[in-house]
Amino acid sequence: METVIISDTPHLRKKRTTKGIMLDVLIALIPATVAGLVYFGGRAAVTLILSVFSSVATEFVWLLCKKTDFKTILKQFDYTSAVTGLLLGLTMPPLEYSLWYIPVLSGIFAVGAVKMLFGGTGKNIVNPAIAGRVFAFIAFSGSMVSGWISPAFGSLSSGNEVYAGATPLTDLLGGGLQAVGVSNLDLFLGTGVPGCIGETCKIALIAGGIYLVARKVIKFQYPLIYIAVTGLVSVFMSGTDWNVFLPSVLGGGLILGAVFMATDYVTSPNNKPASYVYFVLLGVVTALLRYGTKIEVVSFAILLMNLIVPLLNAYIRPRPFGATPVIKMIKDKIEAKKASAVKKEADGK
Amino acid sequence: MNLKIKKGKPFFRGIHVPDRKELARDRAIEVFDAPSVATIALSQHIGKPSEPAVKAGDYVGMGQLIGKKSGFIGANIFSSVSGTVLGIEKRQSVNGITGDYVVIENDRLDKAVFLEPLKDREKETIISRITEAGIVGMGGAGFPVDVKLSPKTPVDTLVINAAECEPYLTCDFRLMVEKTEEVLIGIRLLAKALGVENICIGIEKNKPEAIELFSKAEDMQTVVLKKAYPMGSEKHLIYCCTGRKVPTGKLPADAGCVVQNIATAYAVYEAVEKNKPLYERVMTVSGDGAENPGNFLVRNGTSYSEISEKCGVKENVKMFVSGGPMMGPAMLSTDVYTTKTSSGFLMLTEKEADTNAPTPCINCGACADVCPMKLLPMQIDFYTQAGDYEKAEKIGGVKNCISCGSCAYVCPAKRALVQSITLCKAKLAEKRGGK
Repeated sequence: METVIISDTPHLRKKRTTKGIMLDVLIALIPATVAGLVYFGGRAAVTLILSVFSSVATEFVWLLCKKTDFKTILKQFDYTSAVTGLLLGLTMPPLEYSLWYIPVLSGIFAVGAVKMLFGGTGKNIVNPAIAGRVFAFIAFSGSMVSGWISPAFGSLSSGNEVYAGATPLTDLLGGGLQAVGVSNLDLFLGTGVPGCIGETCKIALIAGGIYLVARKVIKFQYPLIYIAVTGLVSVFMSGTDWNVFLPSVLGGGLILGAVFMATDYVTSPNNKPASYVYFVLLGVVTALLRYGTKIEVVSFAILLMNLIVPLLNAYIRPRPFGATPVIKMIKDKIEAKKASAVKKEADGK
Repeated sequence: MNLKIKKGKPFFRGIHVPDRKELARDRAIEVFDAPSVATIALSQHIGKPSEPAVKAGDYVGMGQLIGKKSGFIGANIFSSVSGTVLGIEKRQSVNGITGDYVVIENDRLDKAVFLEPLKDREKETIISRITEAGIVGMGGAGFPVDVKLSPKTPVDTLVINAAECEPYLTCDFRLMVEKTEEVLIGIRLLAKALGVENICIGIEKNKPEAIELFSKAEDMQTVVLKKAYPMGSEKHLIYCCTGRKVPTGKLPADAGCVVQNIATAYAVYEAVEKNKPLYERVMTVSGDGAENPGNFLVRNGTSYSEISEKCGVKENVKMFVSGGPMMGPAMLSTDVYTTKTSSGFLMLTEKEADTNAPTPCINCGACADVCPMKLLPMQIDFYTQAGDYEKAEKIGGVKNCISCGSCAYVCPAKRALVQSITLCKAKLAEKRGGK
């Protein structure tokens, strides 16, 4: 014993770290990544590798430019930019090899402009992966849509080998499942359904989600609320046609968004009551936007709702233990008002 | 099924810390050697430091008054050894605060100078005896007991805090098991002084022996509490035992309850029945870094380095903590001295004690999920770092914080949340004091 350490209380701490949480998210994304690679092959692999590499490299280059010691950077590296890069890649279609610059530029935008510019981990206002995807969609809209290819497995129900179209959801929102020629099971497994690399195989996403819930990284209520509200509002918008529920829940990037994007710590509210409000609103906004635009809008909805998180944090807070219950507080206020009014009247007379 | 045992109301928040009580829980209380030089602090409690009642060269007996209570909130201080006063010197406390200490050379004769025996056991007699014997809350805060026993609002329940939710500490548990009768008498005396019939004893589930012993007492209700930290917090203990909530910004007495600790009850027993003033207490020495962990009856003014020498310090010790690991301060050196509130001395190894550097907050909300007061520690930290203390109070609710450290325990970014909260509280108090 040469030195003693002086630190602030408590001296015992849970072993979990930010790095550990991010590693858990990466592990939870493995099934979806594998499914994407199996379904879409080499093009998916290149897109994912490029986006992860450019995201991580952007963080390193940024910190090097700020003259941070390389060893310190390695020590500080908490996998957040790797998660960003992987999520960004998973929300992209399996792009043609000639379009290599799209994942690279999106990764640079996501980490450089959305995360590092605002101060790095924990300081970003919107989810970097979502912002990167939206950036790609707006900047390279033509190329992004041309990137859709059918997965390696055809539809289980109709046997359609090739399904032509931007995304089944677009047609779904217009015409329903029959028009597309896929079943709910197809949507669930991602067979015969083109889409983004990570979003087609729902079973892989749900497996990842269960892992995150089991590891207590996310709370199961939040994605469930989001998904359920989106489905219900979609049903309601279509004139209570319950056949719309499953396709609108399983189609598109809703489950990927709900499990991995909307639950991002930094860009979701920091307490339970505000989170419930946030996820309900998110579901409503997603369903309404889908209904209005007839395209897949999960990322846009999350991006929009990220912006009101500070507002929710500031105004919706749990009441401290022992505080007067809200109902009683309101009653007391009304009574006090009455009493003062009576007093005023008495004074007036 | 014993009707005297009741399950506590559920306590949803808080944290589950590995309690590590097995290190010292089966070690019987041993009498620790009296120090050759006792260095007794004149400020061992919340409130004004006591005024020295002796001067250099005086001869004092064991249990003689050496510090006189000054002010309403204060307590008498007694010599823990017999011998000659060497002087009144400046020393550091475990928190690193410099104060006056009476230094007494021990002549090893232990000439006892105790209080006069009491004629009766009436309410006023007991309270004046508690004042006389300098008894303070021995759970850690050191609030004078006589003040707590004279509440301004009517009180109908005495809640005994036997939760001992701090990890490692077992001193209260040992007292409950070894001195059951004495502690029960102390509790009855406290109830009498308070003038209440209703007594609740809150014991955490991890002390089945104590629950069994205490549930035999006919006139008390034993409440079995879930094992959670911070169960021993007054407000949460009251809620779990009686179902009442202490209103924010109010005292437990406003909910009709007064909370006292097991060690305090034992001190009251000794003062009333044995006429012995408070100059020693049971202390847990534990931690992976201690070669011989255990529970010791330590006299006030014993140096921590003497204790560490006797108990043996392993090579890999990285941190010394006075009190429990969740709320006790880490010590700069072991050349500090025990007081009435020293409930533990922990020697933590690198593996046990967290020494990670803080990283940016990722807004995960874990702190808000566990906060037993339902506050938003991350917001307090954020606004305190920005220097906006008013906002920290408004949005984070810092004034309701009980400084239990649950938030910092779970924080994955290892942020110094308690430090921010303490700073914020101090700044707010400063501001209010200035006005």
